Amino acid sequence: MITDTTPAPAPAAAAPATPPSPSPSRQGRRSPAAERRRRRAAEVWREFSRHRSGLIGLAGLLIVVALALLAPVLAPSTLLLATEATLPPNQPPSAEAPLGTDPAGRSVLVMLLWGARISLLVGFAATAVSMVIGTTVGMAAGHFRGFGQSALLRVIDFFLVLPSLVLAIVLSTVLERGVFTIVIAIGVTSWAATARLVRSQTLTVEARPYIERAWALGAGHAHVLGRHVLPAVLPLVLANTTLTVGSAIIAESTLAFLGLGDPTQVSWGTMLKTALDTGAATAGYWWYVLPPGLAIVLVVLCFTLVGRALEAVVNPTLRSR
Amino acid sequence: MPTLEFDDVRIAYRTAGDDGRPVLRNAVDGVSLVLEPGGTLGLAGESGCGKSTLAMSVLRLLPSNAEVSGAIRFGGEDVTAMRWGRLRAVRWAEAAIVFQGAMHSLNPVQRVSTQIGEALLQHAASDYRDRARRTERITELLALVDLPAEKADAYPHELSGGQKQRVMIAMALACDPELIIADEPTTALDVIVQAQVLEVLTGLVRERGLSLLLISHDLSVLAATCDRICVMQHGRVVEEGPARQVMADPQHPHTQALAAAFPEVGDPDSRLRLPGYTAPRPAVVPGSDDAARAGHAGPGASPGEVVVAADGLTVRYQGRGGPVTAVDDVSLECRAGEIVALVGQSGSGKTTLARSILGLQRPTSGAVRFRGQPLPTRRKELLAFRRAVQFVLQDPSAALNPRHTVYEAVAEGPRLHGLGGDEEEIVARALAAAELSPPERFFGAIPQELSGGQRQRVVIAGALALEPSFLVADEPVASLDASVRGEILALFLRLKHELGLGALVITHDLGLAWNIADRVAVMHRGRIVEEGTAEQVLLDPQHDYTRNLLSVVPSALAADRA
Amino acid sequence: MTVALQPEDAIREAPGDEAPRGASWPRYLLEKGSGALVSLLMVVVLGFFVFRILPGDPAISLTRGRRVSAEQVEQLREQYGLDLPLPVQFWNYLVGLFTGDLGTSYTYNQPVVDLIASRVGPTLLLTTTAAAISIVLGLWLGQRSAWRRGSAFDRAQTSLALTFWSVPTFWLGLLLLLVFGGLLQWFPTGGMVTPGSDATGLAWAWDVARHLVLPVTTMVAVVYAQYLLVMRASLLEEMSSDYLTTARAKGLKEDDVRRRHAVPNALLPTVTLIFLTVGGLIGGAVTVEAVYSWPGLGYLTYQALGTPDLPVLQGTFVVFSSIVVLTNFAADVLYRVIDPRLKES
Repeated sequence: MITDTTPAPAPAAAAPATPPSPSPSRQGRRSPAAERRRRRAAEVWREFSRHRSGLIGLAGLLIVVALALLAPVLAPSTLLLATEATLPPNQPPSAEAPLGTDPAGRSVLVMLLWGARISLLVGFAATAVSMVIGTTVGMAAGHFRGFGQSALLRVIDFFLVLPSLVLAIVLSTVLERGVFTIVIAIGVTSWAATARLVRSQTLTVEARPYIERAWALGAGHAHVLGRHVLPAVLPLVLANTTLTVGSAIIAESTLAFLGLGDPTQVSWGTMLKTALDTGAATAGYWWYVLPPGLAIVLVVLCFTLVGRALEAVVNPTLRSR
Repeated sequence: MPTLEFDDVRIAYRTAGDDGRPVLRNAVDGVSLVLEPGGTLGLAGESGCGKSTLAMSVLRLLPSNAEVSGAIRFGGEDVTAMRWGRLRAVRWAEAAIVFQGAMHSLNPVQRVSTQIGEALLQHAASDYRDRARRTERITELLALVDLPAEKADAYPHELSGGQKQRVMIAMALACDPELIIADEPTTALDVIVQAQVLEVLTGLVRERGLSLLLISHDLSVLAATCDRICVMQHGRVVEEGPARQVMADPQHPHTQALAAAFPEVGDPDSRLRLPGYTAPRPAVVPGSDDAARAGHAGPGASPGEVVVAADGLTVRYQGRGGPVTAVDDVSLECRAGEIVALVGQSGSGKTTLARSILGLQRPTSGAVRFRGQPLPTRRKELLAFRRAVQFVLQDPSAALNPRHTVYEAVAEGPRLHGLGGDEEEIVARALAAAELSPPERFFGAIPQELSGGQRQRVVIAGALALEPSFLVADEPVASLDASVRGEILALFLRLKHELGLGALVITHDLGLAWNIADRVAVMHRGRIVEEGTAEQVLLDPQHDYTRNLLSVVPSALAADRA
Repeated sequence: MTVALQPEDAIREAPGDEAPRGASWPRYLLEKGSGALVSLLMVVVLGFFVFRILPGDPAISLTRGRRVSAEQVEQLREQYGLDLPLPVQFWNYLVGLFTGDLGTSYTYNQPVVDLIASRVGPTLLLTTTAAAISIVLGLWLGQRSAWRRGSAFDRAQTSLALTFWSVPTFWLGLLLLLVFGGLLQWFPTGGMVTPGSDATGLAWAWDVARHLVLPVTTMVAVVYAQYLLVMRASLLEEMSSDYLTTARAKGLKEDDVRRRHAVPNALLPTVTLIFLTVGGLIGGAVTVEAVYSWPGLGYLTYQALGTPDLPVLQGTFVVFSSIVVLTNFAADVLYRVIDPRLKES
């Protein structure tokens, strides 16, 4: 039987080319996996930290997220109420309001701080919606064959070419106004690119012989998708997510600018909308036009830098150095 | 004056080390070689031995992170010291390269005529500015490599692998160079196509008195083509001499290992005998009672019960040019304790047949029988079959999920089948049976940390973990280095004799069949054209196709030449 | 050395050494054409679904933000056929589409088709001008960047592109409007022609061109960045290809290696991606037209949002989407012309 086999290994086969650290046989099952994951994480971090622009982006994001989270501590929400405003309207930057005041006499800096919360929230939530749809549809379109596949492909292609902003505009018009509507409108119109990416990665993975081996071992769809395809697709999705958050923030501000935002919430997009509507823009009140726009550019740029660095780490062939 | 002379050439690549600081990795380490005018020199070695790096250095085509020292003299002139203008004039006009893998070495969006014409315009613009003159020359070049003139208008994707390689050769000849460097020009081609391409190449070299530097991992290819052979290992030359001498009486152990990987069919020293393992001669008369119990027999097992059988199997699928019959009415019985080699060229349908036998491809008609019963189609009912019949794939680097440890890869089967018992013990036993010991040392390793041979052992261990009675192996050693080939084949022999495991080994390599197979089936255009014991088929072939195959095996060609 | 094969066998068709074949033109057109047709059908269905089913009661959305009596709502329902069963509504909608009837605008009291017809021209002028400039600029800078990757030029171009890519189109439009329209007064701030001007011929063209500068600049700034990044990535991918080594071995100059071999190959995937972003271009047109009151389809959409004028929105949605679908079909056809790998052998 198997145990009786006395191995007579040829010299070259006696040990791994790079011997892994010997581990006690009893715990040799789970702990190396955890250890490996830790090592892999450290490796990813080391690779990532080689991209200076990625590090800058990450630092920028951490600061913005921290500020957004701390907004209630730094500036109480009552400062946002137009009725409570004590400062004169449309005032240039001063000691009390470092970025001046808006047409209602509120501090632009405070609004900027609170606006970050909505912009980031919409960005993240819409991206989550888009990622879930994109990953599911993409994996299904790459995995299954026959009619279902061609139907899914058609749908992906359709949403890929569709003018997504126009559809998002339409959706936000016919649905009830609110943050939730914006999230849905952006989420359901922006998943196709992810789906395409995931599908092509799924096809690449499934063309690998180890999938054939899994089938021959007796695997079912759930096993192949869950154990082999999903882990291979996720890193790419993660990198893609970072890029999508940026686009979602721009989309949010655009919808708000077109007057489709939630009028009860302050976001960077609604600030710009008010600037335009109240004539602040044409009157030369630059302190109300520049900061929200610059904030958007900065945050989107940070997400883009991090996303590109992640992409280069996850898929080195994608963007050869 | 020699055509080409390497004088203590060292080449190192600057790469980023683990800590991010640049490190130098030696690829070529003090090589001195001479190629006389009209001479043919073969450069042999396994992947990573530095032979391609050396070849590319002749025309300074190495990537920019390569550092070269020593002298590379081409016609007495040091290439490393040439000015760019001079170097560009030397490239192609005086020394041309036939690259490996012609698929990617031709520009996919340019016609053949444009690509050959470009070389003409580059180096002999005054002669070939006239379009008609150019077309005439291109036709002439294509004729040299046995291609019709119409192929000038073809795009690379419209050509077959062999045709592309011929176009590369025609292009290399365009400017009448003195030296041709051919880097694995026939790898990835079928034996018959390989023989044709080699014939074209050597014929031209002989007729025109060119010098040839031929690079290959296959010693017998070099023996069939070159006067002298030089064997490289780890960037150094370990053996050099006249081709016949190196082949017949290799001195260095590495040369011996390389030579053993391409056994001569009919040589009793390599029949059921490999470095490190010799199969015990069967003492059992086939058909006796012992044979029936062979599934559990000890050493000297002989064929037992039929485990899987193809029964009038036909597989047809829709190709681009219409329906393709990949497998055409094939019947084949596979028994426990017996190794069957299914021999054929790529496109012969052998892989499709294997996939059908494994239940991975649904046949158009006919059936696969498992222990006499047709294969069920539902996954649950297939499980018993999936346990008993295991699959060993061609490229072990691709057959293992790079994210899974060895432990997870081997445990995948037992987990899928819900095998009870101590999982760790099952995995350890399977690894030990595949000669990876001590097994615990391999548990946490990921495939990238293992050598090619070790990876293939992990794949085999993954199969053994389910205690199967039969293995289907698709080109199990084709993507392994020559020196580990013998070890893996020895493992198949050992498993047969010690565990009574049967195997269907799919291969294009007749030497492999001679090494380990009990029975050989030859497949051609979807049909099995000849089947019998290994000795019958390989030593006394009946079918024309089998004879053809045997006649173009490089070792046969080399023998022919000698 | 002898090869024991029939001579005709030896020349071309060694077994197992057959060249692949591509699909024929009619088959390719049929495949892509039916795909485009299905997409158009999906546009039509989506248009119905979004406007008639998603809102629950379209009459309520139609009157959002206005004080209306129940009677008026009822009247609206009747006027727009919203009281009919859904299948009947869908049928009427289909018949309307095929007879060129997209309903009547709520605000303008004009057929939507007429409104759209009068606005298509300016939008096409704006988007095609912007696209042409972006493509030339993006592809040219992208290939230069990739070929000299890591250089100061590459770093500067990539950073600039990434920054522009991160800018919301409408905000950039606002800034340009303030600086060049308001502050410096170099260019007109809105519309397509100077109000009250009755110039014709060259004078008219000059007037339109002056109005075109700011909107086009805004769109180009955001769009060229994408093309630059795509072209750069695509060329970087090609740069390690073996056929470039062949070209170098032939003795070609680096510039020729790039111009004759690398760039033509890198262009092919780039072209696909450019056509995939036509939808994005149209989204950009909506915001740019809104900022500069450019009298195109985008501005019409923007104006319809306030009311909201659902028939107009539905019309522009269907028209925009159909344009995109048809452009992509054209792209597929073009792609087969320029990529020999898709041609039949």
